[in-house]
Amino acid sequence: MISALDILLLAAMVAASVFTVMTARLLWSVLSLASTSAFLTMIMFKLNAPLAGVFELSVCAGLIPAIFISTIGLTQRLSPEALAQRRKDKLKRFFFLPVIIVLTGLVMSQVPLAVDFAMPAPAVGQDVQTVLWNSRTIDLLGQIVVLLAGAFGVAVLIKGSKND
Amino acid sequence: MFALLILVPLAGLILMNLPIGAALKRLAFPLALALTVAQSLLIACPAGVAWLGGGTLDHYFNFSLGIDGLSRVLLLSVGIVVFTTLLVGRAMLVGPRRQFNFVSLMLLAMIGMNGTVMLSDLFSLYVFIEITSVSSFILIALTRGRDSLEGAFKYIILSAVATIMMLASVAVLLMVAGGTSFEVIAAALKNSPHSLIARIGMGAFVCALFIKGGLVPFHGWLPAAYSAAPAPVSIFLAGIATKASGIYALVRLATYVFPQSPAVNNVLMLVGAASIIIGAVAAVSQSDIKRLLAYSSISQVGYIILALGCGSPLAVAGAIFHLFNHAIFKSLLFVSSAAVEQRTGTTDMAQLGGLGSRMPVTSATSAIAALSTAGIPPLAGFWSKLIIIVALWQAGFHAYAVIAIGMSVLTLAYLLVMHRKVFFGNVGEALAQTREASWGLLVPAVVLAAITIGLGVAMPYVVNTFILPISRIL
Amino acid sequence: MNGMLLLPIVLPFLAGAAALLLGRRAGALGGPLAVVATAINLVVAIVLFRQGGEVTFVAPWATLGMEFSLRAYQFSNFIVLAAAGFGLLVSLYCVKFMCDRKHANQFYCYMLISLALVNGAVLANNLIAMLFFWEGLLGALFGIIAIGRPGAWKTATKAFVIVGISDLCMMLGIALTYHLAGTLTISKINLPLGGLGAVAMILMMIGAISKAGSMPFHSWIPDAALDAPLPFMAILPASLEKLLGIYFLARISLDMFQLSAESWISPLMMIIGAVTILLAVMMALVQKDYKRLLSYHAISQVGYMILGIGTCLPIGIVGGLFHMINHAMYKSCLFLTGGSVEKQAGTTDLAKLGGLARKMPITFGCFIVAAASISGVPPFNGFFSKELVYDAALERGILFYVAALLGSFFTAASFLKLGHAAFLDKGRNENAGVTEAPRSMLIPMVVIAALCVVFGVWNGLPLHNFIQPALAGSHFGQLNAHEIGDYSGMHGSRVLLIMTALSLLGALANHLWGAKVSGSGLGAADHIHHAPSLSWAYDRAAQRQFDPYDLVLKLLAVVSNILWRLDRANDWIYDRFTVGLTMTLSRGVRLAHGGNYAMYVLWAILAAAAVLVFLVKS
Repeated sequence: MISALDILLLAAMVAASVFTVMTARLLWSVLSLASTSAFLTMIMFKLNAPLAGVFELSVCAGLIPAIFISTIGLTQRLSPEALAQRRKDKLKRFFFLPVIIVLTGLVMSQVPLAVDFAMPAPAVGQDVQTVLWNSRTIDLLGQIVVLLAGAFGVAVLIKGSKND
Repeated sequence: MFALLILVPLAGLILMNLPIGAALKRLAFPLALALTVAQSLLIACPAGVAWLGGGTLDHYFNFSLGIDGLSRVLLLSVGIVVFTTLLVGRAMLVGPRRQFNFVSLMLLAMIGMNGTVMLSDLFSLYVFIEITSVSSFILIALTRGRDSLEGAFKYIILSAVATIMMLASVAVLLMVAGGTSFEVIAAALKNSPHSLIARIGMGAFVCALFIKGGLVPFHGWLPAAYSAAPAPVSIFLAGIATKASGIYALVRLATYVFPQSPAVNNVLMLVGAASIIIGAVAAVSQSDIKRLLAYSSISQVGYIILALGCGSPLAVAGAIFHLFNHAIFKSLLFVSSAAVEQRTGTTDMAQLGGLGSRMPVTSATSAIAALSTAGIPPLAGFWSKLIIIVALWQAGFHAYAVIAIGMSVLTLAYLLVMHRKVFFGNVGEALAQTREASWGLLVPAVVLAAITIGLGVAMPYVVNTFILPISRIL
Repeated sequence: MNGMLLLPIVLPFLAGAAALLLGRRAGALGGPLAVVATAINLVVAIVLFRQGGEVTFVAPWATLGMEFSLRAYQFSNFIVLAAAGFGLLVSLYCVKFMCDRKHANQFYCYMLISLALVNGAVLANNLIAMLFFWEGLLGALFGIIAIGRPGAWKTATKAFVIVGISDLCMMLGIALTYHLAGTLTISKINLPLGGLGAVAMILMMIGAISKAGSMPFHSWIPDAALDAPLPFMAILPASLEKLLGIYFLARISLDMFQLSAESWISPLMMIIGAVTILLAVMMALVQKDYKRLLSYHAISQVGYMILGIGTCLPIGIVGGLFHMINHAMYKSCLFLTGGSVEKQAGTTDLAKLGGLARKMPITFGCFIVAAASISGVPPFNGFFSKELVYDAALERGILFYVAALLGSFFTAASFLKLGHAAFLDKGRNENAGVTEAPRSMLIPMVVIAALCVVFGVWNGLPLHNFIQPALAGSHFGQLNAHEIGDYSGMHGSRVLLIMTALSLLGALANHLWGAKVSGSGLGAADHIHHAPSLSWAYDRAAQRQFDPYDLVLKLLAVVSNILWRLDRANDWIYDRFTVGLTMTLSRGVRLAHGGNYAMYVLWAILAAAAVLVFLVKS
């Protein structure tokens, strides 16, 4: 059963992800990426897939610092002309987005994707806490380490540059 | 107790970074070094392995670890290469703060790699590969030069593509199998051998690992990252980082998890052969030592994947052995380039020459590594290549065997040319005052050379004790 | 007593090694040492011969049927005895001849070791052991020629290459024989001559006749005659190598292969023999040097032996073997007279010699006996053996007989010329002080000349004791026992005798006429030399255009030039083409790695898409 809430969440997720890519501000981008992830997690739980939801959260935790530091590490102040140019081309740079979406849709419609495997029994009745602590301890630990690494990245690339 | 290999570095890392005084920070390097030595020795001795296998710690933390011969080979490589990297980093990085960061990041990477090779869950595999990758990004950019930032950026971008593919694959396989542990996935894939969706899932993960392992044509990031990284980081990347994440995972999945399918094997062999050829051909015209070694690395990894795709137990044993050998001799080659860089300040071959008389130890160990890479008996590299070629021939892949042999000749050619340009000939005016590299570089160089020679000479023992048992499990 | 078989091999070998150690003192001490060693060797040979019967000695050596086995029986004992006799006589001769020469120690060493090796090769009863001695002889041959006059190494190389190649043929033949017979023990081999068997036989025959100095493996001998120390000629090409080569030829023809008159190899051998007789003697006729002239006869006479054995008739074989021993005697005697002349007159150039008959009467006497023997004048030994060969040749075909008879005619003519020019012509002033050779050099000559007479007049002695038993003991002899008669005494056929007498008289008449026309003994053969069609061939031959060795060398030069060009092309492929191609490809790959990360991402995504499509489709 697809409810109005599902459609709403889906729309919000798509909007957030598009905004992530299109915005020129780093902070906004990161925040909207986080909200994309949050919406997706909600959809997962709504679809009764807590494991997938937990994975999504984990990935988010891992990816965000990675992107954050890499971008910061590479940012350079743009010259005013370049900045003006970029503002002008803001939308032009994304003309291929709809093309890709259409193309992907076409390809996917051609691939005969069907349930051609023995369906496993769905995992039910597990809440987030159970999944996180009882079966995914090591992943949690891993995510913490990724965060730590991200923190180090910030320390190395930002703090270090102030000292130099 | 194998969890200690993850928990001890983690605990050390956290302790070092707590604001409780500078004394602990000064101890960071010796402690990390001791940790790598301990890991290598524990894994190398059967008694150490038995001790690590006991205990209830793993249960307490609810870790599901799967340790077998393949994991042990990788754990040993991690120990040796990180040991080397730490020593070289100590000798070559400037400033206590940078060195401290370097040690911390190496510990992080070690956690990632140890976890990668010990865990038996697809999603956990992804997470720990990600730890290694994130540490590697930062390590590459450690000196914050324009080139290193660019190299790191390329790695990040392509890693992001790999991440997307891996996650998509995990999602698909989770759908197919209902779980992410290797056993569950293997059983589900066995149950539905003709499933299209499952195949897409497998293909996506394999492609992601191709990117992580730097195989042609997924390798775009690799030459830039290897050559732009600081010298010790190059050793780390080429020696173990990409191997423990990309190549190890490919071996693990292709042999233990995915069902043996000719389609996947064909892909592996094709990509492997392409890597061998493109890597070797590209290496020939490089003028920078590190860039040359980076392409050489692609080529050598191609051998591993080619043998893996062959699929016979002997070939897989050869692949695993070559994986270990590659960790040793490629680290050694990068140590040599680090030594050259330390004393001359450049790795551009056009500016070098005649260093053999000034840096005899470096020259000798570099020659050993080059010969081992090219597969000259009785060095270790010869045996693993021999096993691979014999296995290919036996399995009927004659064309691939011929490629493997032919490119081996090219390997010898470019490595000898490199060696000649750097170490032979007359020493120029500018380099006349060059001294032998410092102890921090010589010790790992000699240790690695000794391993290469020792493994080659003691080959029958090694085959019977380590290689054949691994292939027998298959 | 079986171990005694080792003595003929070990004794001369040790003596040779000792001679080498003598160093400079060998000039004085080497001669006595060699005489003592060869004398003991002769005693051993006599004891062995008198012992009779079959004696074997087997010692384990390498595996795979390669054992060190020796076998002494009638035939091999005879050859060892003959070799021992020549060894002693030539050693005696050398005492004075070599006393003031350089490299005397090396000379004695090579000579004695050659003797040891010949004994070993003759006694060996295992093909590999035989080959070991046989090839060893090659080394000694090279060494002994190389120590001759300056520049002799070139001739030594020539001899080494020619004999080496034919030895290689022999090696192949031995391998083939082993393959066919399944054993390397000579006395157990008796193969039919079909297909591979014939090939094996031909290969071994090449080795054997090349050792004996037959055409077309002869061309090193005339060169060596000029370059090498003279006693070498007397001991190796004239006697020991003839003995060994013909011995082995007889062994393969009579024992190891079932050669018969019906086989095509028989005419082949006869043709080789006839051609060798004629061509070599024609060359001998026009030579202007004592030693060189003799050396061509050394080749020519081999033809009679090969012709005789090739007839596959008992009478021919007996004649061939008899001729072998006779030849060894008169030819070594002739070389020894040549040595005396060289030693006393200082030259062997016939144009500078002359009138020596008075000054060296004993030498001249020996020369006459030996020359008469070689020309086949009765009652000397050469006459009887040649008659036997003639008889067999006539039975197999008139052409072979004519060739043999013509050979005899030219032989006689050339020795008339030699004797006339060297000993009888007017003496030149520089020869005024020439005296007779020292006694130790005369004794061997006289002994051999006497033996020539003995073997001729009482020819039953060698035939009954040595040659007929050797033939009777072979497979061939056992098969054709009823056909083998007694060939001693004056030969029966009157026609043959008349023809021989006519040819000898013809030779005399020809010489007298030639000498009258040209005015000197030396020019007695000039009318043949300058005969319309022959002069062309002689001129070419003098320019070495017919020397197989030089022809092959020229051919090799062409081949090597072609190969050199191929090699350039090869080098170009390796040095230019491959490197260029690799570098071009490499640069292309390098250009593709432009550093644009978007491009790299595109590659990865496209490749991943390709992989997925491949997996889905397959």
